Amino acid sequence: MPKLSDLLVPAPLRNTPKPGEAGAPKTPAPQDLKSAPPERPTDLGRTGEKALEAPVEAMAWIDQRMAASGFLTGMLFRKVPKGTNWFYTLGSATLFAFIVQAVTGVFLAMFYTPSTTQAYSSIAHINNDVFLGQFVHGMHKWGASVMVILVFLHMGRTFFFGAYKYPRELNWVIGVVLLILTMTMAFTGYLLPFDQRSYWASIVGININGTGPIVGPYLSDFLRAGPELGATTLSRFYAIHMLLVPGAIIALIGAHLYLVVKLGTTAPPWTKADKPRVATPTSNLDAGVSGNGYRPDGAGPTIAGVQIDGHNGEGAPA
Amino acid sequence: MAEDADKINQPYRAPDQVRTEPPPPGYFEGESMTRRKVFTIASQAIGGLAGAAIILPAVGFAVAPIFHRGKERWEKIGKTSDFTEDTYRQVVFTETPGIGDIGKQLAYVRKSSTELGEEPNQYVAISNRCAHLGCPVRFVQAAGNFICPCHGGVYDFQGKRIGGPPVRPLDRFQTRITKGEVEVGPRYSVTSQLKPVRARDPGEFTGGVWEYLYPPRPSTFPPP
Amino acid sequence: MKASDKQAYLEEYELLKKKGKPFFPYAVMKDSVMALVVVGVIIAMSLLLGAEQGPKADPTTTTYVPRPEWYFFFLFELLRVIKPPELVPIATIGIPTICMVLLLLLPFYDKGPERRPERRPLATTAGILTILAMGYLTYAGATSGSPTEIDMKVAPQYKAGAEIVAGSGCLACHKLGENGNNGPGPELTHIGARIPRAAIIRSIEIGPSIMPSFRELPKEKLNELADFLSSLN
Repeated sequence: MPKLSDLLVPAPLRNTPKPGEAGAPKTPAPQDLKSAPPERPTDLGRTGEKALEAPVEAMAWIDQRMAASGFLTGMLFRKVPKGTNWFYTLGSATLFAFIVQAVTGVFLAMFYTPSTTQAYSSIAHINNDVFLGQFVHGMHKWGASVMVILVFLHMGRTFFFGAYKYPRELNWVIGVVLLILTMTMAFTGYLLPFDQRSYWASIVGININGTGPIVGPYLSDFLRAGPELGATTLSRFYAIHMLLVPGAIIALIGAHLYLVVKLGTTAPPWTKADKPRVATPTSNLDAGVSGNGYRPDGAGPTIAGVQIDGHNGEGAPA
Repeated sequence: MAEDADKINQPYRAPDQVRTEPPPPGYFEGESMTRRKVFTIASQAIGGLAGAAIILPAVGFAVAPIFHRGKERWEKIGKTSDFTEDTYRQVVFTETPGIGDIGKQLAYVRKSSTELGEEPNQYVAISNRCAHLGCPVRFVQAAGNFICPCHGGVYDFQGKRIGGPPVRPLDRFQTRITKGEVEVGPRYSVTSQLKPVRARDPGEFTGGVWEYLYPPRPSTFPPP
Repeated sequence: MKASDKQAYLEEYELLKKKGKPFFPYAVMKDSVMALVVVGVIIAMSLLLGAEQGPKADPTTTTYVPRPEWYFFFLFELLRVIKPPELVPIATIGIPTICMVLLLLLPFYDKGPERRPERRPLATTAGILTILAMGYLTYAGATSGSPTEIDMKVAPQYKAGAEIVAGSGCLACHKLGENGNNGPGPELTHIGARIPRAAIIRSIEIGPSIMPSFRELPKEKLNELADFLSSLN
């Protein structure tokens, strides 16, 4: 198997081009096959090699045009700080739960009818008649609970590890907006099965919005598309649940992850950097930071070089 | 692209005068700043116009139902003799036709009682929506109360709040008598003194200064 | 956070990062394991718990007891325990909005350089208290029964009184046997043994503390109710 780093690096830049193929990569293949058809069985090894080479070539072709391999290697092989532990998987687990919701949601939408007269029976149809219908419906339903739990766990980790502090304040704000959007998804998804719980929970939820002074009553009318919960309310909730909020969530997850890569993930607050190998003269920052328990022993040379982007420290692991 | 980058990296020489400021990003040889300003403003204005042309109709489309009022509907619910003064009868009627069961409403209906200080020969139709947050209240004959199963609101026989968190009495439906039959019409809310006001949503106070904090909505019908 | 603290953090972070391992495959390995666990849990829940539909939506019901999904129980319970009508907007809009704004602006008012939870006693305590409060509200919301049923055995002569209790919303605030909500009012299961009949009547009429007055109850119903309650011992 080709190494992944090979896949990501364009062919001309690869470290060890295979002998005999570096100069003329593509043309010999058909010639070989034509000139010696009976030899094919013995040639299996070489065709196999070529078959393995094909995805690499394809990646190289794409990369020649996108020039993304630098970014991808930077992102994939950026260093995560010492001490990174299982608590740091909660964010990606939340993302994964969201992906489960997105995929199962798309397939549920193929069978669901957002109409007041048919919504209930279309869910019954999914549950009773569609192959694996109840299973996919169940994954979406319970995936919602799992996602809510993971969002809170992820937020709890960020809070107790002080990871929302400088320079990651903006990422915390984006995260809280994502929490609100997740709860909005949970709320709007409620109404869709159109059973008793759906109906009354939506009534109560809309009325909660209505208790806001002055704008509240109009907000309720907007959510319901009228003075009473009716046909348009369901399509409105459906559009919010599967177009508006997911779009916003995807965009914000993109921004959230961009900042994670850009700023790097935090280390657990207890992890301290060991004494560096080379002791250098202490800098004038000493006075400012010594009260913090921080030893700036090795800090001098790196002050100017401090970068907070994800490409820092990339490259082959030493 | 690389050439452009080189141009940026070249030392900036203003064409007519010596300036100490660095050149603006993307500056190219012979660029007029007035022209740049005009293009900046024009591109934003035109783009904004295009954006508004997309957004405004869409928002209007979504917001329009707030200002739309449906047709007034009256529905027969039974003969005048079907209802008594001392207890309620549950009546199910269609409020919004064409959307299935969801367009139905339930009213608790009785004849008005002079003992309670009501005008004689009227019919009282009380909505089953709790005035706290809209859960379905039930009438309990034994206690003569309406109670809400959600957050514990309790109302008396007339629908006035006697306990729990509801903010006003239970809503009512307009009633009238046509040829010996009782008809129910649009919903309306009442103040704590049972004075009719335009229909409010649950959780919104009525009467006094609250009328301004929870303004009536254009989508509801005027009170009787 | 002073500029020097920021600089110190960045330097420390740089060192920690130098000592770290590359994201791929070391951190990704953990993420993949977690992803497998997550999808495993979701599949297991889907297979074990299914996705049963409730009864069809019916706006004209008089018997359905609405309850939200578990993740909104905390809000449900908040709405249930805040009884005075004047405070309803605070429970519905006020408290959730304030909490969300506080959460959103957290990094702007908590600017200290310290990150270790044991050295941030205020933040850590606030966080733990929030978790406990949310947990408690969720639990209380999950276990609150309908305020309209009494399952305990009632002697025939007290049946009328029991129905008045069930029908008057007493169980919204009081626990009675297996039914009702534990709080904010005191438990009524053995109320007859603790308080004499006259005091029960007085409480119902006056409505002590946060309890609403049930003065409007007709005299005979009040007597039946008091008979039933004072029989509980």
